[in-house]
Formats: sequence, C-alpha cells, structure tokens
Amino acid sequence: MQHVAGLSGARAGAKAAVEVRGLSHVYAGRDGAVPALESIDITVPAGRFVVIVGPSGCGKTSLLMMLAGLRAQSSGTILIDGRPIARPDPERVGVVFQEASLYPWLTAVENVEFPLALKHAPRGERRDRAEAMLKLVGLEGFGSRHPHELSGGMKQRVSIARGLVQDPPVLLMDEPFAALDEQTRMTMGHELLRIWGETSKTVVFITHSLTEAVYLADEVLVMSARPGRILDRITVDLPRPRTYQMMATEAFGALRERIWGQIRTAP
Amino acid sequence: MSRPSPRTVRRLIGILILVLWEAIPRLGILPELFIPPLTKTLHVLWLDRAIYAAALLVTVYEVAVAMLIACGAGILIGSVVGGVAGVRRLMLPVFSSLYAVPIVILYPVFTAWFGIGSESKIVFAGVYGFFPVMLSTAAGIRTIDEQYLLAARSMGASLPQLIARVVIPASIPTVLAGLRLGGALTIIGVVVSEMLTSANGIGYLVTKNRTTLDSPRVFAAIIVILALSVVYDIAVRYIERRTLVWQTAGRGEAARRAARPALPAQAAA
Repeated sequence: MQHVAGLSGARAGAKAAVEVRGLSHVYAGRDGAVPALESIDITVPAGRFVVIVGPSGCGKTSLLMMLAGLRAQSSGTILIDGRPIARPDPERVGVVFQEASLYPWLTAVENVEFPLALKHAPRGERRDRAEAMLKLVGLEGFGSRHPHELSGGMKQRVSIARGLVQDPPVLLMDEPFAALDEQTRMTMGHELLRIWGETSKTVVFITHSLTEAVYLADEVLVMSARPGRILDRITVDLPRPRTYQMMATEAFGALRERIWGQIRTAP
Repeated sequence: MSRPSPRTVRRLIGILILVLWEAIPRLGILPELFIPPLTKTLHVLWLDRAIYAAALLVTVYEVAVAMLIACGAGILIGSVVGGVAGVRRLMLPVFSSLYAVPIVILYPVFTAWFGIGSESKIVFAGVYGFFPVMLSTAAGIRTIDEQYLLAARSMGASLPQLIARVVIPASIPTVLAGLRLGGALTIIGVVVSEMLTSANGIGYLVTKNRTTLDSPRVFAAIIVILALSVVYDIAVRYIERRTLVWQTAGRGEAARRAARPALPAQAAA
C-alpha cells in the first residue's frame, strides 16, 4: 500500500482539504449563553486521516456537524476544498454517522443510491455506481438485502458506501464503529484503512477509543472538555499499512499513553 | 404424546364453541331465546339472504365513506399536528382529551342535524374513526428517528424531498396501525348508530329482530357483522404485510421503534 503514502505526498503541496480558522460556537442554554467550542484551528491536507478524540460533551460532534454544513458556527470560517460550506454538499463532504442511519424501507443498494436519487441521476447510472461502491466496501452481492438482514458491521459498510457514492474529497465519520463489538470494530478499522487507501479521501474521524485513534490516524487532535479547544496535535508516525501487531509495540503504547495523559489532565 | 401446537389448540377451541352453540340450546341447557342453535341461525340467514344482503350493502357503503373521511382527514390533520410544532402544542392536548370522550353521546345530535339516513351514520362513524388515525399519524411523524432526517440533510435533501423520501415512508408503520384501529372503529360506529336510530343496515336488523324476540335473526345479523370485521381485518393485515416487508423480521431496531404505536399513551393522556 505504498501508493497511499505516495498519493498524500503528491497532494501535500495542494490546498488543504479541510481548513478551520478561529472557529468558536456559543449556544443559547437555559441559563444564558453556553460556550461550546473555542478558537478551533484545524488544517487537514488532502488525503490525510485525522482523528479527533476528547471527553464526552466536548463538542466534537458539533464540530463535525459544522464541517458537514449541517449546523452553523457562531464565528470563524470553515473551508472545505477551498470554499466555505454553508449547507450540506454531498459532492464535497460525505458523512457517516454513529448509528448507520440506513433507511429500513430501502435495500442496501437503494440506500447507497439515495444521494444520487435526490439529484435525479439516471436510474441505470446510479445503480451501477452504487453497486461499485458496495463492491468497494466488500458487500458485493448483498445489494438486495434490507438493513434488518445485515449485521452491524455490514450496515456501517453500507453507510460508508453511501458516504462515498458521490466521490466527495472529504469523508466525515462520527464514531462510526462505536456501536459495534470489539472484534467487528477492529475489522472495520482495518477495512476502513483499505478503503481509504483505494480512494485517497481526506478523512476526519471522531472516536472515543484511543487504540482506534492511534491505529487509524496520521494525526490525532485531542480536544478539551467544554468549551472544546484543541489541546494537542499528535502526529502518528507509525508506518503504513498498519497491522494489528503494531498495537503491541512500544511506539503504539507511547502514543496511546500521550493522548490518554492529555485527556486525563484536561480541565 | 407431544404437546399440540397453539394453532391446533385455537382451532379446537373454535370448533368447541361452534359445537356448544349447537348443543346448549338443543339440550335445553339454555332457552333458544337466549341462544338459538347455530344451524337454525344459519338457516334463517339463508332464508332471508336477500334482506341481509341489502342491509349489508347499506352498512358497507356507510363504512366505506366513513373510512374515507376518517383516514383522509385523520392523515391530513395528523400530519399538520405532528409536523408543525406550534400547531402540535396548541392542538394535541385538545385532540387527546377529545379521544377519551364517548363520542356516541353526540349521535342524537347528529341525527337531528343529518336525519336518520346514512348521512348521520357516516358522519358519526367518520368522527369516531378519525381520532386514532389522526393521533397515530401525528405520533408517527413526531417520533421519526432524528438520525434519518440528519442523514438525509447531509446528503443534500430539500424539504420536499425530506417529506417524500423520509418522513412519509418512516411514518407508514405507525399510520397503518392507526388506520387499522380507526377502520375498526368506523365499523363499530356505523353498526352502533344503526342500532340506535335507523331504518336500514345490519345494525337495524339486530334492533328490529330483538324487539320481536326473534333470536335466530338477531344472531344471523351478528354473524354478518362478525364476518364483516373479519374480512376487514384480513384485508388490513394483507396491506400491512405488503407494505412493510422491511420490518417483518422485526430485527431492525429503528423499524421496531417506528412501528410501536404510540396510541395507548396518547389515549391515556
């Protein structure tokens, strides 16, 4: 999987895929204004895999919603692929949610087609595209199943396929594997890296799992408790492709420890 | 000997009831005035088949129009009440309380307004069936998984697309549960109003024959009403099965949540 490093290297000179400058967010709570996010600056070069970790309620999901154009920030700018994002734009940003949020009344392939159907893409074309995405996520031949006939891991695969179907440069993932059991979660992490390698997307990934963070990331951003700030940016310089064996290495443990130290001492 | 399946037991109980229905009056355990034997009841039903068929036609017509009113108005108003927060806060408590009122007390008023013909039955049964349809539609729309809407928005859905592609399909199970109950109530509404004040319909045949102490003909009418309800139930089940392929396995968590009718809580409120 050398080409992955090559790709991100080639794109390194290009403009950032995700650029957040001076972002703050305040929402109206019951007892007045509550600061949720405070002066967040993030630059994600194209093709990079960035993981955000932080305590519950630190606003990382809110941040992701803002990156997706689903929620407006109080101040600061967000540039996706060089342009501001005022509303959801599935051609620039695909989103994968914690609950696979597939529509139970649609089959797997119809779920993947959904964003294309919204754009009234020709039926044959969108079916071909959706089938190709299902193949990419390792679900060839499962297109006619309904979500209730799929396992948790398979549902998230469909959800990833749906996020990628319009070929957006950026994929946002909000704790996509949190509801899965440990083994499935490990497999899905591995699969995600494979898919990422084959598509060279820019990924912003939120998780609670430090192991998952170190295993997946090029860079880990550690957020503080509310109001959420970026406490630390940790570059994960473990070689790619990542392997399960790496989790047992000293380097892996040291990175994990450093992140844990940040979160534990976070005010 | 292995334990018989519940299905077999159910059938046996059904057969037992029919046998007792025949045997109890024949053996003189209860007078025929209370329970006429099954065969005698079926015999008069056959003899008077023209009368019963004509009455059934009237009843079915009233039920059909009342169902149209109940379902149409129920879905329409339920969507507005469920979908628009302001209207919901204003109207839902009112509708929920009205649901608990025995609307049958209004029937005499309806006969004064609409006469004792079909119109008063249709209006009464329509109002009667309207409430569960309207309340479950409102509940179905209000309880849609937020994630469904968020995901659709992230994929660039406009408001009309959200409604057509997410809100409507996601609320179908709850709406269908309401339609099933509402439809059953319109049948009850029509039959009860026919029994109260009428000159036609199956309910009228029950009342008329009871005043002349003609038990077999009363029970014949009851059998016809039972048949009508059973046919209705089979039809609704069929529609539900056809529409809800995706939740028949009952494993989809979201589907199960969506399918759970919120009516009992509503009615209690």
